[in-house]
Amino acid sequence: MADTVTFRLNDKNVTVPKGWTVMQAAKQEKVDIPHFCWHPGLSVAGVCRFCMVHVQGARKLEIACNLQATEGMVVRTDTPEVKEAHKWGLEFHLINHPLDCPVCDQAGECGLQDFYMEVGKYPSQMTRPKVLKPKAVDLGPRLILDTERCILCSRCVRFEEEVTKTNALGIFDRGDRAIIGTYGEEKIAHNYQENLVDICPVGAFTSKKFRFKQRVWFLQEKSTICPGCSTGCKIQVHARTDRRTYYRVKPQTDEAVNGFWMCDKGRDTITHLNRESRLPQAQMMIEGKKQTVPVPQALNSLQRAIAAAGAQHTALLVSAHYTVEEYQAFFDYFCTQLGVKTIYQWRGDKEDRDAFDGILWRGDENPNTAGLLASLSQIQGRKVEARNELVACVAQDPKVLIALCPEVPFTSTWFQGDLAKLEGISHVSLWTCRYEATEAAGITSWIPMKGFAEKTGHFLNYQGAKRELEEAFPSAAASALSVVEAVQQLALPQPSVTL
Amino acid sequence: MEFPKILTRFENIPNSRALATYEKHGGYEAARKVLGQKPEEVIALVKDSGLRGRGGAGFPTGLKWSFVPKSADTVYLLCNNDEGEPGTFKDRYILELSPHMLIEGMIIAAHAIGAKKAYIYTRCEFYDEIRWMNEAIEEAYKAGYLGANLLGTKLHIDLDHYIGAGAYICGEETGLISSLEGKKGQPKLKPPFPAVSGYLGKPTIVNNTETLAAVPWIITHGAAAYKAMGTEKSPGTKLFCVSGPVKKPGVFERPLGYPLKKLIFEDAGGMIDGKQLKAVIPGGASAPVLLPAEIETLTLDYEAIAAAGSMLGSGAVMVIPHDQPMMELLRILVNFFHHESCGQCTPCREGTGWLANIVQGVEEKTALPEDIEKLYQIALHMEGRTICALSDAAAMPTKAITKKFADELKQTIYANSRLGG
Repeated sequence: MADTVTFRLNDKNVTVPKGWTVMQAAKQEKVDIPHFCWHPGLSVAGVCRFCMVHVQGARKLEIACNLQATEGMVVRTDTPEVKEAHKWGLEFHLINHPLDCPVCDQAGECGLQDFYMEVGKYPSQMTRPKVLKPKAVDLGPRLILDTERCILCSRCVRFEEEVTKTNALGIFDRGDRAIIGTYGEEKIAHNYQENLVDICPVGAFTSKKFRFKQRVWFLQEKSTICPGCSTGCKIQVHARTDRRTYYRVKPQTDEAVNGFWMCDKGRDTITHLNRESRLPQAQMMIEGKKQTVPVPQALNSLQRAIAAAGAQHTALLVSAHYTVEEYQAFFDYFCTQLGVKTIYQWRGDKEDRDAFDGILWRGDENPNTAGLLASLSQIQGRKVEARNELVACVAQDPKVLIALCPEVPFTSTWFQGDLAKLEGISHVSLWTCRYEATEAAGITSWIPMKGFAEKTGHFLNYQGAKRELEEAFPSAAASALSVVEAVQQLALPQPSVTL
Repeated sequence: MEFPKILTRFENIPNSRALATYEKHGGYEAARKVLGQKPEEVIALVKDSGLRGRGGAGFPTGLKWSFVPKSADTVYLLCNNDEGEPGTFKDRYILELSPHMLIEGMIIAAHAIGAKKAYIYTRCEFYDEIRWMNEAIEEAYKAGYLGANLLGTKLHIDLDHYIGAGAYICGEETGLISSLEGKKGQPKLKPPFPAVSGYLGKPTIVNNTETLAAVPWIITHGAAAYKAMGTEKSPGTKLFCVSGPVKKPGVFERPLGYPLKKLIFEDAGGMIDGKQLKAVIPGGASAPVLLPAEIETLTLDYEAIAAAGSMLGSGAVMVIPHDQPMMELLRILVNFFHHESCGQCTPCREGTGWLANIVQGVEEKTALPEDIEKLYQIALHMEGRTICALSDAAAMPTKAITKKFADELKQTIYANSRLGG
């Protein structure tokens, strides 16, 4: 077999593709080789000198990140010499480190801290004054840099070179005076800043939005898909369920979709999920006044409106922010069962949709466009794409309109603006998770919806790749429903609450 | 006693740097001879001569040349004229005597490895040498030794002179390449080695000035004549820079395997003012210090000095007199390496700073005698852990001094401390 090599890693024979490094092989085999500067999404720097391994026959220890596995090589990660190198490697990393863990946001997820707990737990031998460097340096709208905490692993510099290709960061000066910085007074301005916070193995880069907000060990994490655009990055949402508050979003690895990264715009897609932004209950316009009502009452009134107007005078206005499962349930009920024939899809402006920044962000800022189109293709009826032509389309007379509002702020605000242009519809039922939507004019009833992190299901991204919203948090809005649940309630033979 | 003169053969010749003088003494004949030969033959001859890199590592030159992949389309030859090792002043002496000797060596080397473009990388502090070198390059171009169709052949070799900013780390071959590429002078991770992927990602050979300058003589006189000098494993001659309180400090060309004591006490005239020999650094600042007892029969060749626990390095022999406080020497050394560490690799960046920081503590009267053992331990764990050898260069002399002069250093700390009053 010419394309693979087999070598010995500790007590096991390991076969990996030719050209792989020992580090890559160890990752695959779940053998832990501690490292700071190596990152699977970046080039090899080989500067932290931490991933030392013992190679039989070699004169000295080798770094696993730049050591290509060769046939018959014998590698050990646990010899006394390796352990000694780790201990001293850690000592070198820590002598000038401020050790301000109690006030550092990275505490709890810090490479230095974790590794100290694993191999350290000894008093420092450093008894001299430490090297002092600039702290709390403002490097951009989302970034703060503490150059004292920095271990100069150069991950951030390589990210700027290789991923965003903006080359905004450099290492200035040399020796133990070296610091990370931008050129002159420049600030980092791109849409991928917080990846620098993610890849920083210590607390040097912190996020302006997250710093000092929450200790990471109080956060619960759930895997889901970013609702920000049609790329559909795999993400992890971090929240405190006891407070029903979302704090941050981190990318997860999905080689085929987002690799290791996500954009900053995507990181802002959680704030609307917090309690203060949520529509907690259904609302209705009763005698010209907005009133909070139980969800069944609002649904019941919608049902009666449809019954009165007839399916031919009912239309659906659908945005591409809901799961495949939700669309199926929605169309199944309204189109197949009730016979609604008019469906408007709202997907933003056509001219913006094909935009792509060359990294991850796409102009189609809807996470499930492909899923919506696939679901639509299975039903009969008049399907109109409505954005610029919305008023003209809707003017063709529906008396009842059921609108699925996009959930992330930057698209939903836009959607609501469009909705406000509609006049003459007797009942508009807006299904939304956002409290802000109750400000919109011309709406008859508001149904509180669950956000993307509060439900399971699937999105199809721009490639048609099916990705799962794996886990759901409890909703911050107590009576929020998914579209599936709302439709189930509508389909009940008799409404459970009547006025 | 007469010694073979290869690199210093232009000593005492008037106007020795001029092209006319060089030509009069057989200059560019070796290049003329070689350009008709196949590159493999030239490499074989240099391999056979046993010439080893004079920058410090002593790697066989012909072998290095043979590492360039045969299929390579663009190959670069770089001359490392950065000469930054403290105590070393031999390469500048070659430029002072005969810059054309280097140019001719580079033409031969470029032909052997298939390079059409060569660079000399010189540190900016060599004001005069830079000027002399530039003049020589201009002369060589005018005379048709460089450029298109040089010496009437179809070959084209261009030579440029690049002036570095004087960082020690740019004398490390991959640091030099980074610097020449216009980047921060930081050594590159190996593999890949420069012979495969060097300057601008192309196969590159980096040779020291002294190495390249020896090549024309070897071509003219043959491998056997070169091997006749020196020892079996360290053939040829080498320039030794003797500094310190000796009567005649300077550059001496001697066959390798020459007795160190003879060099210091006969050739350099011995110690001045009745000073006694306390120690010798035999190969530049990064070479471990040797005690008088250790140099009794020591010869100046790669193997003998390695066996004595030090290294031949750049051939910078630094003589340390009895009245030299070793703490002072240690301070100068660790401060130098602290200042010059590029800061890439953690053990070196932090380690060199830590060493300097602890030694600083002596001046501040806060050091403790056990700091000497700490210095040794830090140095021990800096060694062999980094991309380039700067960390080792700082660690090796620190280890040697703290080991061999532990008592003196501790006494200094005690006398200097609040304990000692």
